[in-house]
Amino acid sequence: MIRLDRVGKTFRGRDGGAVEALREVSLEVAAGEFVAIVGASGCGKSTLLRLVAGLVPASAGAVTLDGAVVRGPRAETAMVFQAPTLLPWADVLRNVTFPLRLMRRADARTEDEARALLAVAGLAGFEKRLPRELSGGMQQRVAICRALLQAPRVLLMDEPFGALDALTREEMSLELLRLWTARRMAVLFVTHSIPEAVLLADRVVVMSPRPGRVVDVVEVGLPRPRSFDQEGSDEFQRCARRIRAHIFGGRGGTGDGARAA
Amino acid sequence: MIAFFAAWEASCRLFGIREFILPAPSAIWGATVAVWPTVLGHTWATFLTAMGGFVASVVISLPLAMLIAASPTISAAVYPLLVVTQSIPKVALAPILIIALGANEVPRIIVTFLVAFFPLVVGAVAGLLATPPELVELGRACRAGKVQELLRIRLPFAVPFVFGGLKVAAALAVVGAVVAEFVGADAGLGYLIQTSMSFFRPSLAYGAVVILALMGIVMFWAVELVERVFFPWSSGAGQPALGA
Repeated sequence: MIRLDRVGKTFRGRDGGAVEALREVSLEVAAGEFVAIVGASGCGKSTLLRLVAGLVPASAGAVTLDGAVVRGPRAETAMVFQAPTLLPWADVLRNVTFPLRLMRRADARTEDEARALLAVAGLAGFEKRLPRELSGGMQQRVAICRALLQAPRVLLMDEPFGALDALTREEMSLELLRLWTARRMAVLFVTHSIPEAVLLADRVVVMSPRPGRVVDVVEVGLPRPRSFDQEGSDEFQRCARRIRAHIFGGRGGTGDGARAA
Repeated sequence: MIAFFAAWEASCRLFGIREFILPAPSAIWGATVAVWPTVLGHTWATFLTAMGGFVASVVISLPLAMLIAASPTISAAVYPLLVVTQSIPKVALAPILIIALGANEVPRIIVTFLVAFFPLVVGAVAGLLATPPELVELGRACRAGKVQELLRIRLPFAVPFVFGGLKVAAALAVVGAVVAEFVGADAGLGYLIQTSMSFFRPSLAYGAVVILALMGIVMFWAVELVERVFFPWSSGAGQPALGA
């Protein structure tokens, strides 16, 4: 349903020079598919998400959603940022319903649905709290609930667990998988963490930096439901090794398929 | 506070400081209470001018701040003008305004406004522009237009900054009202200070000064109270606590 056709993006720097963030990126994501994007910093992963979200226009090529070219933010996509990005003046419930209220899509059921979603995310009883009263992990859960309440067909996640500690991160990954299994939407998940990508995704897109290009797409053959026990499995190790080889190239990788960035 | 007044009273009596240099608190109190109804009338007049200027500041500053924050062009055009209004001494401007607009409340409110509005504009603009880019992007992802972004994201975010400006403006409004009254008024605490000094009654003038200080404190507290009651998330987080 999401299709990127030789997409390029060039930013104009402050000094007038051009910075090429993405070059000739082609990618397809099917409805209900979970795709992770990994790559070193500066490989244009976030830019890629923003292009799909319609927040920035492509410089070359086209992003299409169900065949329609993405020209601006669309109702069927929702985004989760690295920071929780909650409104400091609104309580948890009003934060979760904010996008729908902003888009005038809120109705009588919205609040009940928000409460139900918060309960699933383990936030029952926190509806009237202010964001600053919650821990980082809880804030990010609120942000995920906010995205899910929009019932998106495409969920874009930009390192959503990047700011969390390792334990919270694992817990949240499994929670995200549960929510995704129940609701089945296409997910584009940007991360730095190779194990996280392999654990979550159907396919892992590996990108190289400067300019950002797709160097490999790794199919993850692990059965679902996934769990951290699978980390020891051969398939997990195979996928992780292959991704690592691309990212680190000759530096410490096994070298198969390695490419100088 | 009590110790301060006690020391003041004691040193006036012990060293025999004469009234026109520094009247004792008891003398100030006595002189003020003796003409209490008149003092109250002057206090009320000053309060009205200060409030008028304060309200004018709020009504003009907030839309102005939104315009400045919305467009770099407007900002570049308006900001230098604002700085000019701040570099003109208001004491110099007051008589000109009074001749131009007549000896009524209007020029006094304008002078008060000119003294008080600047920190409010600066604070509000700072708040509107300090909105984290992620929040703005969230709004864009939810297909919010420029107006929605301003009203539903930037403006609420700016509230703590606006209140910072309001507190300064409340205190400055009292200053502005007195400046205006010094130049042209037939009522108000500024007028009372001038007339008491010319009739050689320094104790009454000191009384007026004390009342002015109290008025500034009360207006400051009132703003803080409004913030605590209506914007509880604003007070406490992020902003350094001012005053009490």
